Amino acid sequence: MADRYSFSLTTFSPSGKLVQIEYALNAVASGFTSIGIKASNGVVIATEKKLSSILISEDTVVKAVPICDTIGLVYSGMTPDAKVLIDRARKAAQSYRRVFNEEPPVLQLVRDIASVMQEYTQSGGVRPFGVSLLVAGHDHNGPALYQVDPSGSYFAWKAAAIGKNMLSGKTFLEKRYTENIDLTDAIYTAILALKEGFEGELTENNIEVAVVAPAPPEAASSAGGVVVTGGNPDDPLYQTRPIFRRLTPAEIKDYLVNI
Amino acid sequence: METLISLTGKDYVLTASDMTAARSILVFKVNEDKTRDLSPHITMAFCGESGDTVQFAEFIQKNIRLYAIRNNFELSPKAAANYVRTQLAESLRSRSPYAVNVLIAGFDEHEGPELYWLDYLGTLCKIPFGAHGFASNFVLSTLDNAYLPDMDLEQGIALLKSAIKVVQQRMLISQPNFQIKLVNKDGVSVIDI
Amino acid sequence: MSIMSYNGSAMLAMVGRDCVAIASDTQLSANGQMISTDFQRVHMVNNNVMIGMSGLATDVQTLWADFRARTKMYKLREERDISPRAFAHMVSSALYQRRFGPYFIEPVIAGIDPDTKKPYVCSTDIIGCIEKSPNFVVAGTCTENLYGMCETLFRPDMDADDLFETVAQALVNAFDRDAYSGQGAIVHILTPTELITRTIKTRTD
Repeated sequence: MADRYSFSLTTFSPSGKLVQIEYALNAVASGFTSIGIKASNGVVIATEKKLSSILISEDTVVKAVPICDTIGLVYSGMTPDAKVLIDRARKAAQSYRRVFNEEPPVLQLVRDIASVMQEYTQSGGVRPFGVSLLVAGHDHNGPALYQVDPSGSYFAWKAAAIGKNMLSGKTFLEKRYTENIDLTDAIYTAILALKEGFEGELTENNIEVAVVAPAPPEAASSAGGVVVTGGNPDDPLYQTRPIFRRLTPAEIKDYLVNI
Repeated sequence: METLISLTGKDYVLTASDMTAARSILVFKVNEDKTRDLSPHITMAFCGESGDTVQFAEFIQKNIRLYAIRNNFELSPKAAANYVRTQLAESLRSRSPYAVNVLIAGFDEHEGPELYWLDYLGTLCKIPFGAHGFASNFVLSTLDNAYLPDMDLEQGIALLKSAIKVVQQRMLISQPNFQIKLVNKDGVSVIDI
Repeated sequence: MSIMSYNGSAMLAMVGRDCVAIASDTQLSANGQMISTDFQRVHMVNNNVMIGMSGLATDVQTLWADFRARTKMYKLREERDISPRAFAHMVSSALYQRRFGPYFIEPVIAGIDPDTKKPYVCSTDIIGCIEKSPNFVVAGTCTENLYGMCETLFRPDMDADDLFETVAQALVNAFDRDAYSGQGAIVHILTPTELITRTIKTRTD
């Protein structure tokens, strides 16, 4: 009975708006800021990681998450909602790989996530997701950066900001972004964009930075002893394919020192 | 133990289907119609497991008719043949497959006369002439030997007659009657030869 | 008689210098009775990939309808042609989906990788186990003959004309000693810029 009479909670207001989606965007706008920049040789995504108590073990909180070897994302908004989407995205990536033995193109994965988010604006008994995502990846078209919103719409960006300080972040990026920016510059720019409107001091423990870039072997082996393999040896571009990687606190610290 | 023979000519297709209904050592009747017309310009001759044959043929006939009524558009012989193939191929991997072999003869205003050979597995092949059943072992030799593309109707009928004669002369099983259908620009008709 | 030889077929794919070829016989027979001398087992997937399917003819037609639909949807979705490698894995996964009630075909796949422009050739068994080859793959009812001919005639780095001559001779001389296949052949040569298709008349006895 329950599912036979489960009407959509997302209904049009007389003016033609879906207010539930606007509320979802408000949830995003009050979430932590996330920044993404597409560089000529890779992509960087970064986000705040402020914890509600100093007693929380900070290295267990991961907000820049890998989806597959070549794609990762950060989010602004409600963490539990994001976890659901991350799980769906990971499954979609693996089911693509199962069929084609290739990492999915970024746009395909973005579409899969977006269609899940759209479904939750039109189905009965559910509410929209209270998150926006910044998806970074690399495929046959080169580096890619997408934003996905609770409505299910998605955009390709050169540089993007979402969350609490979205407006100041965006203004900053518009000023600082240049075509052909290289990845190192992009990482600095992303950290500086996070600094705009950041309450307190930036440290290597209260922000997260991740990149999609060719893996330097020494960095890979220093990433907590985990060797990043970068996918499929069958792939003709195996050696050169950029992969998704979170920067270690030590690496972030090196960048912060130079700011 | 049934026989279907068909050949295409210059502007027509001829089909011959034996009219014997028999099981084991008993002949039930010798005037059984083993064809169904799928549209004004398409006919299908069928043989195989008795029970399956008419059931399948009429299922196809009615669905193709339904398509024509719904869309106010008759399927081409090629489209109809591919529809039958899909049905047989799906049936093959179902719990109870149809054991039916068919020949689909049609006339298309653009393509001209067309003949499709289709077995119970769903193997579809466009051919100039062909046969199903035990008799194919005799008949195909006769047709291979004497068939010419672009034969006029008279020549076609003469060749079909000689093919039927071989069946009746050389095959152990008695098939006294054959129904002959002609498909041309005017549609499907039953003819005497 | 095995279901794999019910319809009879012979085909091979071979690598040349910047080109690949698939050659196949053209007859359809059922239980040793010849039905047609004009049956299509080789299909173009796109300008980079082709597939030939040996084995049961009905499954050739069923699977080609499926592969064609899948690759067209891929093209619409991703706005690019599927690569030979990705297509081969798609075929493999489609066949393995039916592990315990298989389609009775053994495909050979040949293509030019759109990114690297390198030739790619592989075959799979009926449940989709991929066998990649640096030189040639064979399938059908006279694989022993085909292997013998290919081992003898293959040379590395043949140009398109040499490759045509080699695959044509390998195929025709292999199926002439096979009762289930033959009655004419068709050869497709794929280069990064063009597809050359030639039909060959052979003995018809």
